[in-house]
Formats: sequence, C-alpha cells, structure tokens
Amino acid sequence: MSLKKRDEMDHNAWLKSQDLTVIETAFLTTLIWIDKRLRIVDYLELLETMYYRANLQMPKSHTEQYDLDNKFWYWYPLYSLGSLSILAYLVAAVSGALLGFYYSPSTAGAAVQGDPTAAYNSVVTILQDVQFGFMLRSIHNWAAQFMVAAVFLHMLRVYFTGAYKEPREVNWILGVILIGLTLFFGFSGYVLPWKQLSFWAAQIGVEMALATPIVGEWAAQLLFGGFTLGQATLVRMYILHVFVLPFVVTSLIALHVGIVWVQGIAEPH
Amino acid sequence: MTDDTEPMTDGGTDESARTDGGAPATVPPDDETPSWTERKEHSQGLAQLTYQYFERSRREDEDLRAESTYVERDVLGFPTWPHETIRNLAIASFFVGMMVFIAALMPPHFGHPANPGSTPAIILPDWYLYWSFGLLKLNPLNPELAVLGGNILIGNEFLGIVAHGILFGFIGLVPFLNKGNARRPVEEPFWAGVGMAGVVLSLTLAALAIQNFFPFELELLITLTFLLPVLAGVITYAVLKTMREGYSYDLNRRYFMLRPPK
Repeated sequence: MSLKKRDEMDHNAWLKSQDLTVIETAFLTTLIWIDKRLRIVDYLELLETMYYRANLQMPKSHTEQYDLDNKFWYWYPLYSLGSLSILAYLVAAVSGALLGFYYSPSTAGAAVQGDPTAAYNSVVTILQDVQFGFMLRSIHNWAAQFMVAAVFLHMLRVYFTGAYKEPREVNWILGVILIGLTLFFGFSGYVLPWKQLSFWAAQIGVEMALATPIVGEWAAQLLFGGFTLGQATLVRMYILHVFVLPFVVTSLIALHVGIVWVQGIAEPH
Repeated sequence: MTDDTEPMTDGGTDESARTDGGAPATVPPDDETPSWTERKEHSQGLAQLTYQYFERSRREDEDLRAESTYVERDVLGFPTWPHETIRNLAIASFFVGMMVFIAALMPPHFGHPANPGSTPAIILPDWYLYWSFGLLKLNPLNPELAVLGGNILIGNEFLGIVAHGILFGFIGLVPFLNKGNARRPVEEPFWAGVGMAGVVLSLTLAALAIQNFFPFELELLITLTFLLPVLAGVITYAVLKTMREGYSYDLNRRYFMLRPPK
C-alpha cells in the first residue's frame, strides 16, 4: 500500500468542470470544506429521511382501492374510539396526578363509625379549598367515564367489523385484558374517597374474592389487605390506582397500539 | 455451495427465487465463521425447523408480492404534516373540550363518609360495573342448577364469579370460534346476532343490578334478562339474513370479483 495520499473523489476538479455562478461555487466550496471535516452528508441523509417520513405518502387505502369512499365516511367516528380512549386516559392521568398532590390515603381521624376519615376530608379539601379543585375532580371523574365508555364502544366496533379475525387474535385478547384492567382502574378509583358507596363497593369486592375457592383468601389479602376493610385496603387501592395500574395499563396500551401498527388496521370489506 | 441440483427446502423450482443453498450473495466469510449453509446443516431439531419455516414464509411473501395486483400511486393520501397532524389536533382538542365542558356542566356527586356500621339501602358501583353487579345477583338461579336432591353445587357468590369467568372466557375465545375473512355483519348474520345478544345481555344484566327500580317480580326480571338477549339475537339474525340477498349483489360486484374467496 503506497503512502501517497489518494483522492478518489476529486470534488474540486468536479467543481471546476461545472459551469456555476459565484453563489453556487461559494456554497459548494463551503459545503465540501465542512463535509470533508465533519462528514455532514450523513446527517443530511438523516434529515432527508426524516423529511420523507414526515411527508410520507400513504399507500392506497382499502377504502380507495375498493371505491368505498362514498359510503364509508360515516363509519369514521367509530374508528376513532381507540384514540379517544387513549386521549381520555391521558386527561385522567394529568388531572389524577394533580389530585394526587392533595389526596391522602388514610382512614385515620374517625373517632366514631361514620365520621369523616382523613381520606374523605382530603377530598373535601380538594372540593372546597383547593383552587380549581372541584373542577379538577369533575374532569378526572368524567375522563374516566369517557375512557370506559370509549373502550366498550371500541370493543363493539372491533366485534361487529370482524377486526379481531385471524392474524389479530392476540390483540383481541390483549384488548379484553385491557378492558378488565380499565374496569379495575375505575373500581379502585371509586374506593379512594372512602365515602359510603366506596366502602360498600369494596365490601362487595372482598366478598367476591372470599367466595372464590383456593385463591380467594390469598387474593383478598393481596388486593384488599385482609378480610375486613380498613387502612390496609385504602393504601392498597391507592397504590394500585396511582402506581401499579398506570404502569401496567400504559405498557399494555403501548403493546396494543404497537401490534396494530405492525399488523395494520383491519378495514371492513 | 454451488450445487444447483440441491433441492430447495420448500420444494420450489424457480432458480431466481432460490433463497437456500445457492451461491453466497455477499463476501464469503473466513474459515472461522460458519456460513448460513453450514449453520443450517449443523443445526438440528427445532432450530433447523425454525430455519426451514423462515425460508418458506419468506418465499411465501415473495410469491404473494409477485402475484399481487396492488396498485401504488404517486400521491396516495394525506401527508402527515400538516394535514393529518392538524386534523388530529382538531379532533383531540374537540374531545378534550367535550370532556371539560361536560365536567363543568355535571360535576359528580359526593356522598357521605364511609360507615361500616350501617349498610346503605342501595349499594351500586359506577354504571360501567352494573353488568358485573347483575351477574352477582343471579343467586335465585342457583337452586335450578342443582342436581341430586336440590343440594346447590356452588355457593351463591361463587356462582357470580363463575359467570364472570364464562363471559370473559367466551369473549376471549371469539376469534378462535369465528374464522374466515368475512367482515360485515351482513356477511355473517349468526355472529352479528351473537354480538347483539351480548350487547342486550349487558343491558339486561345492568337492569338486574338495579332491580329495585323495576316494579315487577324478580322471577320475571331474571327470565327477561336471558330471554331478551336471545330475542334480540334472533331478530338481528333474521333481519340480516333478509338484507343479505340485496346486499350481496353490491358486495359481489365490489369485492368478491376483486378478491375471490378461496
């Protein structure tokens, strides 16, 4: 191998052979100078790829291919239910995080049965003293209602358009699991204010768990912190609602959407 | 490996599509690195089967692409930026606005503090769990499920849990029971009927959960809980079966001629 410096791509000679204006020559000279030192062409390629990705030309959709446009548009809202549930989930997450600043999961403070507990009082504080607290709780509540409703309707849409069929069984089952978790999300949130209906809803939950053979008592201890309701129940519901379920549900939603991305949307024929 | 007479693992004959056993397409590896062919020969059992399956599925993809009539156009849809992005932002803003609007109009009720000492007259979860609560109120059915002298087989509460299991199990099994590439309800009146029965069942179970609000006997309510869904299913089936004839003409023209059923 010779020590002589090789210049296979003689950019300057190429530049001279071109018939260029002063501006073009200056631009290209600068570009070549910088590129020889920093190899910006790689990054330019990245930028170019990003540009084309951002301005992606979609392949011809099923609707266009089979000329269904004229009678298809009124189904579009049903196809946005999945997005709507994610949107409601995000709204609930943001408002829930703000509510979490003021809420305390504690049954302390009730001298007599039926007195307000610390948890109940913290919600009263949110409702009465915190700036926009009343609105915040209302938004959190309604975002949850929207999410559950959107998830149910989403399931119906998927069922009646046969979108769960052959390559998509796994995502259907994942969706069923997500519905169950969404309902449990709602249930655990319902218990947190520790009002009368919260308490008795949780009571039904414990009784359901205890009625199950073999795993029932274990499940009651794991989820409700024992066979009777109290401080342990409230803390467990709180941790499930603000820590465990958000992580699990968010990852499952990501997986659910990721599988849709990989498999493509099942449009009706 | 340059032996062209080597049979392909999937029994193919098209030499240009050969993905196995042909001449190496890239720089040959040195002696240390086993080639793909060598790896394939060395691998046994599951690894070899996996490799062979991948070869087959890759060939299948190629064949499908080759025989596809799919048309690509130069301009095929909305660009992500700005059209799609702005449309999505508009839809998202609308839905969030609706949520905030309704939240401002109808703030949720806040009840009395928990009192373990006094059971309220009416215990209800949020509306979305009514169906589940209805399943827990099926205990009047329990004696009818009993055999051998009326000893009930399972406890009343456990019956409700079993009902949940059956329901979720059935929903999870749906894609394994209903196969094929039919997509519209008219193409499969039976499964559309099952779906409508499910929807009505969830509503009647919710009605069972709030049974106190209905001014007739519990027995009648439970009968209706299971009768109405079946009725709804049958009606759906009949209507769709009737619609099918007229609908099929259009479907045939648009779809089945383009993608003939296998």
